[in-house]
Amino acid sequence: MNTSVKYLLKRLGIYAISGWAAVTLNFFLPRMMPGDPVSVMFASFRGKLKPEAIEALKQTFGFTDEPLLNKYISYLSHLLNGELGISTAYFPEEVSSIILSSLGWTLLLVGISLVVSFIIGSLIGMIIAWRRDGKLDSILPPSFSFISSFPYFFTAMLLLYFFGFKLGWFPIRHAYNSNLIPGFNIEFIVSCLHHAFLPASTLIFMGIGGWMLQMRNNMIGTISTDYISFAKSKGLSQKRIMIWYAAKNAILPIITSFGMAIGFILSGTILTEIIFSYPGQGYILYQAVQAQDYQLMQGIFLTTTLSVLAANWLIDILVLILDPRTRK
Amino acid sequence: MKLIFNYILYAILGIFAFQQCTDSTTKKHYKGLVISQEQQASWIRNFNPLTPGGSARWPTSAGIYEPLMIYNSMKGEYIPWLAVKHEWNMGNDVLKLDIRKDVSWSDGVPFLGKDVVFTFNLLKAFPAFDVRALWSYLESVKLLNEYEVEFTFSSIYVPGLDAIVGQTIVPEHIWSKVEDPIKYTNPNPVGTGPYTEILKFQKQVWELGKNPNYWQSGKPKVEQLTFPAFPTNVQATYALINGEVDWAGNFIPAIDRIFVDKNPENHHYWFPRAGGSIFLYPNTTKKHLDNKAFRKAISYSIDRELIAKVAMYDYTVPADITALSEGMSRWRENKIRKENWNIFSRDKAISILDSLKYSFSKNKALYDNNEITFEIIVVSGWSDWIRAAQIISRNLKDIGINASVRTYDFGTWFSKLQTGDFDLAIAWAEKGNTPYNLYRGLMSQKLVKPIGEVSALNWHRYGNADIDVLCQQYEKTSSQSAIKDIIFKMQDIFIENLPAIPLFSEPSWGEYNTSRFTNFPNEQNPYAQLSPNNVPENLLVLIELEPVK
Repeated sequence: MNTSVKYLLKRLGIYAISGWAAVTLNFFLPRMMPGDPVSVMFASFRGKLKPEAIEALKQTFGFTDEPLLNKYISYLSHLLNGELGISTAYFPEEVSSIILSSLGWTLLLVGISLVVSFIIGSLIGMIIAWRRDGKLDSILPPSFSFISSFPYFFTAMLLLYFFGFKLGWFPIRHAYNSNLIPGFNIEFIVSCLHHAFLPASTLIFMGIGGWMLQMRNNMIGTISTDYISFAKSKGLSQKRIMIWYAAKNAILPIITSFGMAIGFILSGTILTEIIFSYPGQGYILYQAVQAQDYQLMQGIFLTTTLSVLAANWLIDILVLILDPRTRK
Repeated sequence: MKLIFNYILYAILGIFAFQQCTDSTTKKHYKGLVISQEQQASWIRNFNPLTPGGSARWPTSAGIYEPLMIYNSMKGEYIPWLAVKHEWNMGNDVLKLDIRKDVSWSDGVPFLGKDVVFTFNLLKAFPAFDVRALWSYLESVKLLNEYEVEFTFSSIYVPGLDAIVGQTIVPEHIWSKVEDPIKYTNPNPVGTGPYTEILKFQKQVWELGKNPNYWQSGKPKVEQLTFPAFPTNVQATYALINGEVDWAGNFIPAIDRIFVDKNPENHHYWFPRAGGSIFLYPNTTKKHLDNKAFRKAISYSIDRELIAKVAMYDYTVPADITALSEGMSRWRENKIRKENWNIFSRDKAISILDSLKYSFSKNKALYDNNEITFEIIVVSGWSDWIRAAQIISRNLKDIGINASVRTYDFGTWFSKLQTGDFDLAIAWAEKGNTPYNLYRGLMSQKLVKPIGEVSALNWHRYGNADIDVLCQQYEKTSSQSAIKDIIFKMQDIFIENLPAIPLFSEPSWGEYNTSRFTNFPNEQNPYAQLSPNNVPENLLVLIELEPVK
């Protein structure tokens, strides 16, 4: 176990370094975009704002001509104090409160859809690999590859149009019914689920295929190993071999990619949230980029980075528990 | 397997069945008049009317608070509001404003001249609020008596009147106690406007109620306004088609088919060409484009009818030779001109190129045996302008000029425009109550900055010393006939030199639904612009709307 702790600490060290690298990139990348928040804001008025306003805007946001390096150092020191700064697009709101109010919705959406698509995808992958050359095996993989090769926004818009706009089965926007007061009661929770259904389904639909194929391929690898043949010859039930002998080993590499997927999905919800008007982080990020709101962009990138790193560290622990080979 | 799937589907529908009922009964029946003006994913509570850049909720600066006077662009005149009268002294360097009596703040405290003086001094103390740079020409703002305020100018600058009377006024008895007015979000505003009471404020929807003490008796007639958050144009359009929104200012393509046909009785729109003009900017520091005759050749080659029809969904008309949009047509001088470069004539374009010693071979115009190539830069995703650029590109090809269309991200595009890093670009021009802002912005020599330096105006880098002389005269006179004379002279210089090529008038977008509310401005009753985007003119509409009986 001692070695495991050492391993985890070492991983933590690596994450700390990648965390710093990410923070640094978060600072410099937005500033490398051409233009700046003030002129973008000025331009968005399309000639209605007088050029004199540029000076006023700079004063408001406290922009100075300090060298970039000084700004970087003060950014780091603010970060260590937990200060993310003030948003320019939503002036004078604190970046942290904007992120807090939107992060919950994104985590809900991403959490539900990632877990559901992971479970369904892996289960289907397991079953079709076990019954290879069966009917399901010849139908599901190609059809899911077909579905997930659609551009995401296309599927999402299609669902929104038919189930939301035409049929009216699901709301076409927002995270809950605006007439309800947010709280922990059945009506509100059902409203949340009702609103999350369409956006989550699109994410699940697009996600299942990947998990399924990965699981199927891993399963096929484990099925052909000696211990499976041994288990079969011992006369264990098919179900038991499939789940506890084959699937248990096949799922290990997928758990690692689950950690990676969190990162991809966090960035992937931008489109979902824009299309379904879901008040999460993705839409805020889109707004921040549009307005070149450096502080807000940094803040959102930071939460994304931190959550991906945290998720990966948890996965490291999980793999350590599940896979004895990593414990040496 | 199929059976299981059916069960799941029914289960899901079952869970949401009752939800569905509640949703469909409530969604279309917000109590208030539903407005879609800003596009946001979730609302942030900010009612500070002084923060620049519009981060306060609409209609904070013209609805909760009010300016001294409102310029009605449909009528071309100032409507007295919190100030009833303005008066210049003989030398045009002292302005006196008479303040309206019997106005009170929404908390019952009377509105007086001291609130006006306080607001202007707040702008002086916090230059961040001085969006119009008032204090660059003001010397002092003095209270003469409770209802009279005097503005003394440090230098004569008559156009300063627009900035002064356009200022939103805040109450002294509240704002004098605010510690950091710049970061103040003013969560419970006290204003003089028709709507001041925040009835509800949530992330997804907020509601604004009537001012109990509004000074125009009997107004407003609509009890409350409701603002659901629509993050995108598509979402706002869906809601509008569904009848969930009563008043909006969105761009909608093919609006007759998409919106009006769904409910011709109640779905209406009015897109008056009251915005500015949209221009094709030639970078006048580049070879060929520095020659006014060459610029005129380009102008002749452009099929503006086609652009208006195809690129702009027939919502607009080709630009006038004065570059003034229809909303500014009262400033066009009607006389016979020898120039007519705004007509579409390929032959004329080619004959100009001929006279400039361009040669033609294989359908290409050559100068010193070199081909002429340009790039037209447009914002990516702005499909109407992109189509306009593509039409121009084809038009230019027909006269042998190779102009390719390149799209850039908004920030990048604007930065290229400001630093002069382009050949041709489609963009707007500065707006104002008179064409002075437009012509000054397009031609003043004082505004020309070297390539590479950021320039807020005059992106095409054209300077004309005569314009600066005229600007000076304009800034010193308050005589309407003298102003008209100066504008006409600027017009002649513009037409003669064609520093930027006008394409079409920009429509101002406005849609409304009369099933629950009525008395919106329209073509038959053009008492103001319909579009809620046109602050502070939106105030003129807000107080006229009525519920359907």
